[in-house]
Amino acid sequence: MTKSEFLELLVETIDTECELNEELLLDEIEEYDSIAILSLMSMYDDLDLKVGPTDFKDLKTVADLMHLAGSKIE
Amino acid sequence: MAKLHFENIAIKAVVTTVGDKKITIEEEAHNFGYDDKMIKRLKKRMGFNSRYVVNGGVCTSDLCCQSAEKIFEKFDKSEVEALIFVTQTPDYKAPSTAIIMQDRLALSKDIVAYDINLGCSGLINGLLHSYSLINSGLETVLLCVGDVASNFSYYKDKNLTPLMGDAGSAILIKKGIGLGDFVLHSDGSGYKHLIIPEGGCRNPFNKDSLKENNFEDGVRRGVDLYMNGSEIFNFTLKVVPKMFEELFNFANVSKEDIDYFVLHQANKYILQNIAKKLELSGEKLPMDTMTIYGNQNSASVPGTINGFLSDEFSSKKLKVLFAGFGIGLSWGACLVDVDNIFAPKIQYYGEKNDKK
Repeated sequence: MTKSEFLELLVETIDTECELNEELLLDEIEEYDSIAILSLMSMYDDLDLKVGPTDFKDLKTVADLMHLAGSKIE
Repeated sequence: MAKLHFENIAIKAVVTTVGDKKITIEEEAHNFGYDDKMIKRLKKRMGFNSRYVVNGGVCTSDLCCQSAEKIFEKFDKSEVEALIFVTQTPDYKAPSTAIIMQDRLALSKDIVAYDINLGCSGLINGLLHSYSLINSGLETVLLCVGDVASNFSYYKDKNLTPLMGDAGSAILIKKGIGLGDFVLHSDGSGYKHLIIPEGGCRNPFNKDSLKENNFEDGVRRGVDLYMNGSEIFNFTLKVVPKMFEELFNFANVSKEDIDYFVLHQANKYILQNIAKKLELSGEKLPMDTMTIYGNQNSASVPGTINGFLSDEFSSKKLKVLFAGFGIGLSWGACLVDVDNIFAPKIQYYGEKNDKK
């Protein structure tokens, strides 16, 4: 998928009204909380990626969420 | 993986009693510091709504005894040869509550009775014990399962408490027509993800055990249950669909052969994810028990039968899959036949047994 498709998927998964871009700090997304992390784990699982709770510990920006998707983003 | 196959054993009755006090998420949101926006989000994403709990002092055995007495309106209690009680909330640390229940229920003194300490996977393990006893020669087993979760989830723990309901079920299993296939797993490496840390022998009850501690996910004490929600969710996503494949292969069935998937009702979000992975509709995999009654631990499979599938189980011959997963970590599933069983709608604690 493309970067913009991934960003759309993130908006839907986190259920946020924020406009997401790579530089945006995760702390600035009001809905980025423990519920969002469950949803994100499920999203990565759907993409056949092994992403567990500890992978979210040191993430700072939306770009970090993109890196977790690795080669799934063109 | 433990795999077991049984023949000529049948579930005859399933009755669930829940606590008689209904609490909505709005009513207790102040305990967790949730604002209106968060309540809306929890309702939409996780299926939070209400839960039924007992008033202080009511034990799981009280709920289970009411359920069992309902069964004995239809079945002869003198036929019971074993009573197994699966719970994490026994009446006492010792002796086994099942033995006390023998007397309370006026069952024969010739029965075998014991407790099993398990939570969310407890129904499957309890059925396994029941089927094994019948396979070894007994005719009739009474299995009681459940927890009074309000006993171990602290009222200020926003991560856990709004999820939990109190329920106690009784299930009658007899020699009869029906197959049973089981798969079970245990992984103690994850024991810290769901644990009551203090009050046992490893960390005995001490002067600080009732002291409140502030955590990111709420306030709790050493004697309360702790849950690492994201680890448990991750565990569930990984093991449950795989376990179903194992059971389908072992029992030589396909998912189309199964009428209902009755799963432990951890929360609606987990069940939606499992249903999505297995490409199952909500009709075949009910997922509203936690939303209405709360997560009922080992009673959530029978709680779902009595809460949402009472008519179907009471009037049809069905092939059903039951599954439990959680504390331990422990997970298991079984495939059983049921044929027009006694499965009345949910009972409320204190409700007269003769109430129709």
